[in-house]
Amino acid sequence: MENLINIFVKGAFIENMILAYFLGMCSYLAVSKTVKTSMGLGFAVIFVLLITIPVNFLIENYILQEGALSWISPKLAEVDLGFLSFILFIAVIASIVQLTEMIIEKISPTLYNALGIFLPLIAVNCAILGGALFMQERAYNNIGEAISFAMGSGFGWLLAVVGLAAIREKIRYSNVPPALRGLGITFIIVGLMGIAFMSFMGIKL
Amino acid sequence: MKNGKLRQFVDKIKPTFDKGGKLGFLKSTFEGFETFLFVPNTVSLKGSHIRDSINLKRTMALVVIALLPAVLMGMLNTGYQHFLSQGQDVAFWSGQALWYGFIRVFPLIVVSYIVGLGTEFAVAQVKGHEINEGFLVSGMLIPLIVPVDIPLWMLAVAIVFAVMIGKEIFGGTGMNIFNVALLTRAFLFFAYPIFMSGDKIWIGGMFKGENVVDGFSGATPLAEAAAGNLDSLPSSMDMFMGYIPGSVGETSTLAILIGAFILIYTGIGSWKIMLSATVGGLLMGLLLNVFAVNPFMEVPFWQHMIMGGFAFEVVFMATDPVTATQTETGKWIYGFLIGILAILVRVINPAYPEGMMLAILFMNVFAPLIDYYVVQANIRKRLKRVTA
Repeated sequence: MENLINIFVKGAFIENMILAYFLGMCSYLAVSKTVKTSMGLGFAVIFVLLITIPVNFLIENYILQEGALSWISPKLAEVDLGFLSFILFIAVIASIVQLTEMIIEKISPTLYNALGIFLPLIAVNCAILGGALFMQERAYNNIGEAISFAMGSGFGWLLAVVGLAAIREKIRYSNVPPALRGLGITFIIVGLMGIAFMSFMGIKL
Repeated sequence: MKNGKLRQFVDKIKPTFDKGGKLGFLKSTFEGFETFLFVPNTVSLKGSHIRDSINLKRTMALVVIALLPAVLMGMLNTGYQHFLSQGQDVAFWSGQALWYGFIRVFPLIVVSYIVGLGTEFAVAQVKGHEINEGFLVSGMLIPLIVPVDIPLWMLAVAIVFAVMIGKEIFGGTGMNIFNVALLTRAFLFFAYPIFMSGDKIWIGGMFKGENVVDGFSGATPLAEAAAGNLDSLPSSMDMFMGYIPGSVGETSTLAILIGAFILIYTGIGSWKIMLSATVGGLLMGLLLNVFAVNPFMEVPFWQHMIMGGFAFEVVFMATDPVTATQTETGKWIYGFLIGILAILVRVINPAYPEGMMLAILFMNVFAPLIDYYVVQANIRKRLKRVTA
């Protein structure tokens, strides 16, 4: 149990997808204009991560890894399908995103319209594929750990995106130099947020 | 002193700086100095408005006054620690200690003000608006949160960064998201770590190693506690009075309490933030005491209040009215989380000896979000009242 909590905290704060690895920046910057929509996107990302990472974990452990196929027959014990991981991971992610899109369109058409093109673009969001690849690299022991990691990194993404959205709503009427308005100042804010998130870096769990 | 010599002089040179005058391009600089010296005589004539003797400059001046005890104790302590490291027996309350502290700390203050205000004046000139006086407080805070041996040019670079990137591009005073003084410190900490951490930097002259007595460590109480040497911690009274190594102004909890009293009495600093941050810190300390698995966690929870920069930053940084939450409910949440995070980072994270700076910066990030949800909750409550 303690292990699962540690993985969650690590994914959310210490190894935050956005502010420690700067993954998933495109939708992060584009959909952080209002707190409401960014909240929606954040939950969509959590949802997608929560499904894709465990599914990819199973694929990794029962199909791709060297010797993973031995559960079919002992003859396949030497097969290593690791080179297929990118293609398979992306295929899983793309289909899950398609599903999410349909669900959101059904449940909340307003959110669907507000998110616009960025909803299907979650499929190419680096944070999602990054999550799957981190899962592969860190070799989690069981599916519980993979789910905990997915929850943590998704929560960290959500926290970062709503935090940025609230700041952007606050500075909407600030007298920012014209050249920096919009994306320019957002980049600077994200950099400064990165400094603030350094407070967790170095914690060993 | 109506229409004294100075006023006459200012009036005489005023036309030179008006539009079309010889030095018209320096108008905002001139106005900055004029309003610093005299109360502006322009009043609004139409519409309803409130007339009060308090304005931005006076608010800032009051905070600077509240900081003076910490400055004095900081100077005395700088001298005291210096002579201690040299093996000379100089009393804490002595002219010698004060004089050494003064010649070490005063340059920091001068550089801080000149560079910071210079940046503000330059920006105001370029953008062609009035000078923001927002640096008056930051300029005094910055020298108090750096180690006394910091090279002056580093301080200058960090201040330019913090004022430009942290404040001016967000629209100047009152618009910044991050506390300027803390951003300066964070910049120094990450850019020049050698000069910002370790045991040797806290005592004047020790970094260069001039005549330091053998066996004098110079470690701050926090460093001692982190290393597990709970026995060599100074007594609580010493830590409370400030006879310990540390950043210039953060050592004396007594001086900080006097400042806190001034801030609360004049209504400038929010007592809600101070109280909730202290409660948060105490609770976190207590929690760590319960789970104590290493010596650092065994430090009595109330001692965290008088070690390191906790007291100073709770009183003077967390209560910054610009970067803190604006809603009253939000202030409780904001302060509480600062207290918790500060102690958590301080004890759990081996990378930083002190967690206060990053805890406040972290909560600066989320202050707008807290405000947003407090406001939303309020709207929902009122809507319910209307529709019910």
